[in-house]
Amino acid sequence: MKIKLIVNNVEKTLDVEPNELLLNVLREKLGLTGSKYGCGIGECGACTVLVDGEPVLSCLTLAVEVDGREITTVEGLDVNGELDPVQEAFLEEGAIQCGYCTPGFIMIAKALLRENKNPSRSEITEYIKGNLCRCTGYINIIKAIQKASEKIALRERNII
Amino acid sequence: MTLELMSYHVIGKKTIRKDGVAKVTGREKYASDIYLPNMLYARVLKSPYPHARVKSIDTSEAEKIGAVVITFKDVPDILFCPRLVSTPEATYKDWRVLTDKPSYVGEPIAAVAAETEEIAQKAIELIKVEYEVFEPSFDPLESMKDGKPKIHEKIILNDKEVIIENNIACKLELQEGDLEEAFKNSDVIIEREFKTNRGYHNQLEPKTAIVNPEPDGGLTIWCTTQSIHNTRLLISEIFKIPISKINVKKVALGGGFGSSIQTNIVVPIAVALALKARRPVRLAYTKEEDMHEHSSYQMIFKFKIGAKKDGRLTGGYMINIMDIGAHQIQAYPLLGTCAGWWVSLYKLQAMKYSGIAVYTNKVPSCAYRGYGNPQVTWAVETIMDELAEILGIDPIEIRLINYIGEGDLFWGQGPTVKSVIKSCGVEEILKKGALLIGWKDRPRPRDQKGRFRRGIGMARGYHTSSAGAPISSQVIDYSGAILKVNEDGTIDYITAMVDHGGGTLEAHAKIIAEEIGVPLKNVNIVSADTQTTVYDVCTHASRGIYAGGGAALNAARQVKKKILELASRILDAYPHSLKIRPDEERGQGIVYVEGSSRKEITIGELATLARIKNWGTIAAVESYRPPACPPHFTGYFVEVLVDTETGMVKPLKVVIGADVGTLINPDLAEGQLHGGFMMGWSRAILENLNYSKDLGDMECKGFIIDYKMPTVMDIPDEIKTFFVETYEPTGPFGAKGLGEGAQNPAIAAIANAIYNAIGIRFYELPITPEKILEKLKQSKEIEKLDLEKEVVKSEVA
Repeated sequence: MKIKLIVNNVEKTLDVEPNELLLNVLREKLGLTGSKYGCGIGECGACTVLVDGEPVLSCLTLAVEVDGREITTVEGLDVNGELDPVQEAFLEEGAIQCGYCTPGFIMIAKALLRENKNPSRSEITEYIKGNLCRCTGYINIIKAIQKASEKIALRERNII
Repeated sequence: MTLELMSYHVIGKKTIRKDGVAKVTGREKYASDIYLPNMLYARVLKSPYPHARVKSIDTSEAEKIGAVVITFKDVPDILFCPRLVSTPEATYKDWRVLTDKPSYVGEPIAAVAAETEEIAQKAIELIKVEYEVFEPSFDPLESMKDGKPKIHEKIILNDKEVIIENNIACKLELQEGDLEEAFKNSDVIIEREFKTNRGYHNQLEPKTAIVNPEPDGGLTIWCTTQSIHNTRLLISEIFKIPISKINVKKVALGGGFGSSIQTNIVVPIAVALALKARRPVRLAYTKEEDMHEHSSYQMIFKFKIGAKKDGRLTGGYMINIMDIGAHQIQAYPLLGTCAGWWVSLYKLQAMKYSGIAVYTNKVPSCAYRGYGNPQVTWAVETIMDELAEILGIDPIEIRLINYIGEGDLFWGQGPTVKSVIKSCGVEEILKKGALLIGWKDRPRPRDQKGRFRRGIGMARGYHTSSAGAPISSQVIDYSGAILKVNEDGTIDYITAMVDHGGGTLEAHAKIIAEEIGVPLKNVNIVSADTQTTVYDVCTHASRGIYAGGGAALNAARQVKKKILELASRILDAYPHSLKIRPDEERGQGIVYVEGSSRKEITIGELATLARIKNWGTIAAVESYRPPACPPHFTGYFVEVLVDTETGMVKPLKVVIGADVGTLINPDLAEGQLHGGFMMGWSRAILENLNYSKDLGDMECKGFIIDYKMPTVMDIPDEIKTFFVETYEPTGPFGAKGLGEGAQNPAIAAIANAIYNAIGIRFYELPITPEKILEKLKQSKEIEKLDLEKEVVKSEVA
C-alpha cells in the first residue's frame, strides 16, 4: 500500500504492507534507528514518537494508520546541529546511561512539555510512567525534564 | 591528597559525556540498529517443553518457501561454555548451538533465515518436530534426588569428560580455621535459612547478532556483548574459524547487568546461518525470547554464625545451594565468589563453606549485577541485625566491630583472587549515613501501631574492583589500550572495553587527559573492534574504571614520555624538565619549560613537526593486568513506609554513601547509586520469575507485562548520595570501581527497614505485599493469643 508520511518535516512516499508497524518502517525503510524496539507490546516506551505532536507507541501503530500525518522522531529534534532543550537537559543532568531508553524518554518529555509547560514532579512521573529505564533509577530523568521546562521558559523569554 | 585532588583539571569534574550527543539525537548505534545490504532475517525454533528429546524434525516445508534452515544436525557437534572469563580448569562446557535434547522452554532447536522476518517466522511455523517428553525438575532440592531424569549426562571440563550425577553441575568446599572450636567459644549461635528470587536482567535492548560472512572465509560480527574479544574466541572455538579471521565490532550496549558477559546464543546461531546462507544474517530476539535467554541464579543459603557477647563474630558455616537452570555459564566460579562475598564482609576466626550448583529445567542463569553479592549480603546483613538485637548492640556498632577493612585480606573473585585492602571508607560511610537518615531517632521494632508504619534499616557492603590480584588466578583479568597522537593535537583512544552506559570510557578519557595534560575534548574515543584492539577480558566485576582505566593510564604515561622526548628536541630542554598544561581556549595541550614563557609548543604542532621531520607517530600500546582487587565500599540507609492493610511498601528516604577511591565522574557515579537503589528495590520487593509446573515455563511466559519492574512511580520521595574521600594506591589516580557495590547492600537495607517497621523478618525474596500480609496476619493471631493468655492470667489473679 502506498502511504505518505511527513517524517521530521520531510515528506516521504512509501510502499508498505498493511501489517507493517510504524516502528519498522521508521527503522528499516527510512533508516531512522533512534526509535527503539524494547518490548514490542507497548510496555516500555522505547519506541515513542510524536504523531501530529501526540505521543504514540510506534511498535503498536500500523504505518497505514498514520498515512498523511506528521511524525517526529528523536532524529528530528535538533535543528542545524543545535540540540532541543530537552536533549540538552538530558545531557546536562546525567539522565543518560546506556541510552537505549533515552529516545523514548525524550519524546515523551517533548509531548509532556507541549501540553504542560511547567509540570510538577507528580505530573512528570504520572506522564512518563509508561517508559521504562533500567539504568538510571529515573531520578535524573525527572531532573532533566524539570530543567528542560526551565530552559524552554527562558528561551521563550529570549534569555538564552 | 586534597591538594592533589584540587589540582586535577578533569578528574572529578562534571562533564558532558562524549557519547551523549549521539545518544540524545538517536544517532548512537546499538547492535540492534545494524542492518546490512542483502541481509537475511533470522528466527529461531525453540523448545516448547522444559525437558525433551527431538525424535524427528522435518524442515522440508520451511525450505520450500525459500528459507535457509539449520537444525542441531547442521551445527558443530561440540560442547562449549559461552563465558570465557575463567581459565579452562574452571570452565564447564555443556552448551550446544542448537540441541536435540532441550532442557528448558525456549532452548533453540533449529533456526531459519529468509528475505523478510515474516517469511522467516512462517518458515519456523512450517518445521515439524516430534518430541519425546521427559519429566522436568523445577526445584533444585528435587532435582538432586536419586532417580530424577538426568538433565545432562556428560559434560566437558578442561578437555576431559565429567559424568553428571544427581543433576549436580559442580561443587565447591572450603574450610579455614577450627570451626568447632570457634562455635565452642561463642556466646550465641544463630542459624538461618534464606531463599533468593530468580530475576531477569531486563536490560532494555534484547539480544541481537548481525553476522556478515567475508570473502576470505572470515566473519564480521555486531552483537550485544560485554566482551568483543571473548565473542571472537568463542566463535573460533565452535566453528574452527581462525581467530584472526573473525572481527567483532564494538557497538553501544543497551544495558548489560551481566547478561552479556557470556556470548549470547543468538551469536553462534546467526553465525551458523550466515555460513550456510553465505549472506549477512540478522537475528534480533523479541523481548519474550530475551527473557528465555538469561536469568539470575536462585539460591538457598543455610547459615550458622557464632558471636561473643561483645559482638565479635567467631566462626561461620555457609551452605549454598544454587539453582542454575539448564546450563552452566559460570556456576563454578560463582560458588567461589559467594563464599568470598561472605567471608570478606566480616572477620571470622574459622569458616566452612559447602557450595553446590544444581541443574533444573529453567532458563540458564548468569551473573546479574553483583554476581551473588546482593543475595549473600542480604543474608549476612540480616543476621548481623539479628545478632545486634540479641546482644543489645547498635546495628552500626556491631558492623564497625567486625568489618573487614584496611590491611585485611579481601577475596575479590572467589578463593583464587585475593589482595590486601589498601583503602577503606567504611567507618565514615556508616557514621555519615547514620546522621543523614536520622538513625538515632529511628522507630523501635514492634513499637508502632496503626495502619502505616515507618521503618529505618541499614546495611553495608562492597564489591570488588576487577578480578586482578598479585598472582595469576582462575579468573582472567587484564585490559588493553592504544593511544595515538593526531597531527591536530588530539589523541585517539582505542579500547576493546565495552561501556555499559555507566560512563566507563568517559572516565578513561579523563584519566588520559589528566595524565598527559590535554583538554578532555582532545581525547577521542574512537571506534574499535577485535582487529584493531588488544585484548580486554570483559566489562564485568566493576572493573571498567579500575582495570580499563589502569590500562589507559599506563598507555597515557608512555605517550606523555614520548611527547616530552620529542618536544625536548624542539625546545632545547631536557625531557624531564618539561611540563604539559591543557589550554582549553587554544584546544591544545601545551608542552612548556617552566619559567620560560617563550619555550613552548602545542602537541598539535609537535605531532605535525614529528611527521615533517620523519620522527614518526607518537603512539603507545598497553596491555595491563591490575595488581589487586580493591573493594569499593557502600552503605545504604533506607526509610520505608509499610501499609499494614495492603502489604505495600514505599521508599520514603534513601541515603547511600560510597567509597570509590578518587571520584572521576561525579554525576555519573551518582547515577550508578540511583540506578543501584532502584534495581535493589526491585529485587527486594518486586521481581521474581516464578515457574509454573503446568506451563513448564515461567508464569509470565516471557511477557514483560507480567514481570514486575520498577517504573518512575516507585522512586523514593528523597534520595541522598555522598562519597567519602579515600585514595586507592593501586588504582588510576586513586580510583576504584562502583557499578556493583552501588547496589549490593540495597536488598538487605530494605529488608532491615521493613523489620524495623513491622517487627517481622523475611527469609525469602521478594518481600511481596502477599507475604507481608500473611506474616502480619500470623503475628496478629499470636498477639491475640498472647492477649487472651494475659486476660486468663489476670482473671485467675
